[in-house]
Amino acid sequence: MDFIKLAVNNLLRHKIRSMLTLIGIAASVAVLFSIVSFNRGFEQGLDNELRKTGIHFMIVPAGCPHEVASLVLHGAVTPKFIDIETLDAARKISGVELASPMLVTQLANREMDRLDLVHGMDMAHVSALKPGWQLKGAVPEDDDGLIIGAEIAGHDNIQIGDTIRYGSRSFRVAAIIANTGSQEDAFVYMPIRALQEIVEKRDGLTAIGVKVAAPDRLDQVTEALAMQVPGIQIVTMNEVMRSLGTLANSAKVLGMSIAVIAMLISAVGVMNSILMAVFERTPEIGMMRAIGASKLDIFRIIMKETLLLTTCAGVAGIFVSSVAAGIIEGFVRNFMPYVPSGKMIHFEPLLALACIAFSLTVGLLAGGYPAWKASKINPIEAIKG
Amino acid sequence: MIELHGIQKNYVRGAEAVHALRGVDLEIGKGEFVSVVGPSGSGKTTMLHIMGCLDQPSMGVMKIDGAAVDQLPEKELVRIRREKIGFVFQQFHLIPGLSVYENVTLPLLFARREADEEKIRRLLSLIGLDSRRRHHPNQLSGGEMQRVAVARAMVNDPEVLFADEPTGNLDTENSDRIFDLLSALHDRGLTIVMVTHNNELAMRSQRIIRLQDGQVQN
Repeated sequence: MDFIKLAVNNLLRHKIRSMLTLIGIAASVAVLFSIVSFNRGFEQGLDNELRKTGIHFMIVPAGCPHEVASLVLHGAVTPKFIDIETLDAARKISGVELASPMLVTQLANREMDRLDLVHGMDMAHVSALKPGWQLKGAVPEDDDGLIIGAEIAGHDNIQIGDTIRYGSRSFRVAAIIANTGSQEDAFVYMPIRALQEIVEKRDGLTAIGVKVAAPDRLDQVTEALAMQVPGIQIVTMNEVMRSLGTLANSAKVLGMSIAVIAMLISAVGVMNSILMAVFERTPEIGMMRAIGASKLDIFRIIMKETLLLTTCAGVAGIFVSSVAAGIIEGFVRNFMPYVPSGKMIHFEPLLALACIAFSLTVGLLAGGYPAWKASKINPIEAIKG
Repeated sequence: MIELHGIQKNYVRGAEAVHALRGVDLEIGKGEFVSVVGPSGSGKTTMLHIMGCLDQPSMGVMKIDGAAVDQLPEKELVRIRREKIGFVFQQFHLIPGLSVYENVTLPLLFARREADEEKIRRLLSLIGLDSRRRHHPNQLSGGEMQRVAVARAMVNDPEVLFADEPTGNLDTENSDRIFDLLSALHDRGLTIVMVTHNNELAMRSQRIIRLQDGQVQN
């Protein structure tokens, strides 16, 4: 017989009550773990995605530049275009290593009865703009070749050399991108001239991606560009990152607030449950005091019960959030303005330990009052019942 | 062994001042088997609690083995309860989820002493429940539960056993059995102080102390 066994026995005497209290705390810990893990995954995913773009800044049409940049990056269609002259002007700026046109739109794929996200680009710039790509096949050298993402290829069982039709034009699949874990897996990359013809915007661009020769001179290049080409908007990848981070921040704050409130409610639930148990066991506590238990012993018994409950709940919460990471992630994604592709919630041992420690702290705080109350029970009154 | 000199116990209940004990003088010798009788509200249980170091008198001096204990700090009273005193209650107060064996060894947990299995088994044999040591209180009759409570009170080898209405919830047969058990313990040298309403059982003890209105009646 030891204090832990006594605490376990006490918790098991009211299995349903203990289980409900445990579920409350476990759910809160699961939410906390998922949100913190999601946030960390979000930041890493965003960083990875922006790094993969291979450009330092974008020239985008008028409007909210950060929003436009993020839309372009993720294949959404923007209603505004910039002129081809801007591309020529950008290429003349000292320090610009590469200025590459981008046109993003949706095209009807009638064979598959769906809309494809099509990214028009200069195929000569593929290796510079997409240094991380691993291609099966070769970058097309004419305007009739396509590069397609792994997801589309896998979904439609498309092989190199197959044909895809958009409108009246047929395109040959020249290359398939190995899985990148990003939105690029669902894109079709088309020579920009071909795409401009299809959408009948021969000089229209959605954005221009710019790579500078010396990244430490980025500010000078963007200033020079802004001076020489008035009316354009420039957004650096760092700004896009910050902007997306700010957009997502409100959702993160909301999520964390929900987790903290859930924890507080659970803590009140734990306190209520343990307090009820103390009141119900008042005669028993009186008996224990009579047969030699000190006030501290009683305090320890109640605290151990609480800590045992919250620790088990913490472990259960981590287990649930790890097992149900996909469902939780899908749910959270609905509330975020933008989420990088790939898996956001990962099992991180240190984070799991931190969440269990947090749960333990909640137990300490929630159990403190009932334990103190129990230790103050007058044994004489308690024995009388 | 136990001396009470001018013990008074006063407390307030609502707006009413209660004088539970009004100057009790009493001595109980080592190895005595004493029954405390008296009508309800006469102060029997209050006196038992003071003698058992669960309560402290408002006035007067109480000594155990010659040492005054009436003004000792809580920590010392806990030590005395662990080392010298055993308690048996009318309501048994066994812990439901624990086995008979675990209930009996509960005081050892608070005394930070290891359970001597051989000794516990002998104690369980004495109360006739060794074969049921793994049973839980809900599998026992009232008489059996009270016998477990007696074994629990004995596990720390106390010098004195205080029993507050130990047969109050039992039928005649089980009451006799509990009394026989207490008598057997008394025969082994244990001092027993039993509060009871059962005059028949009280008559079978060595000595009867009658309380009325907080005073010992001669």
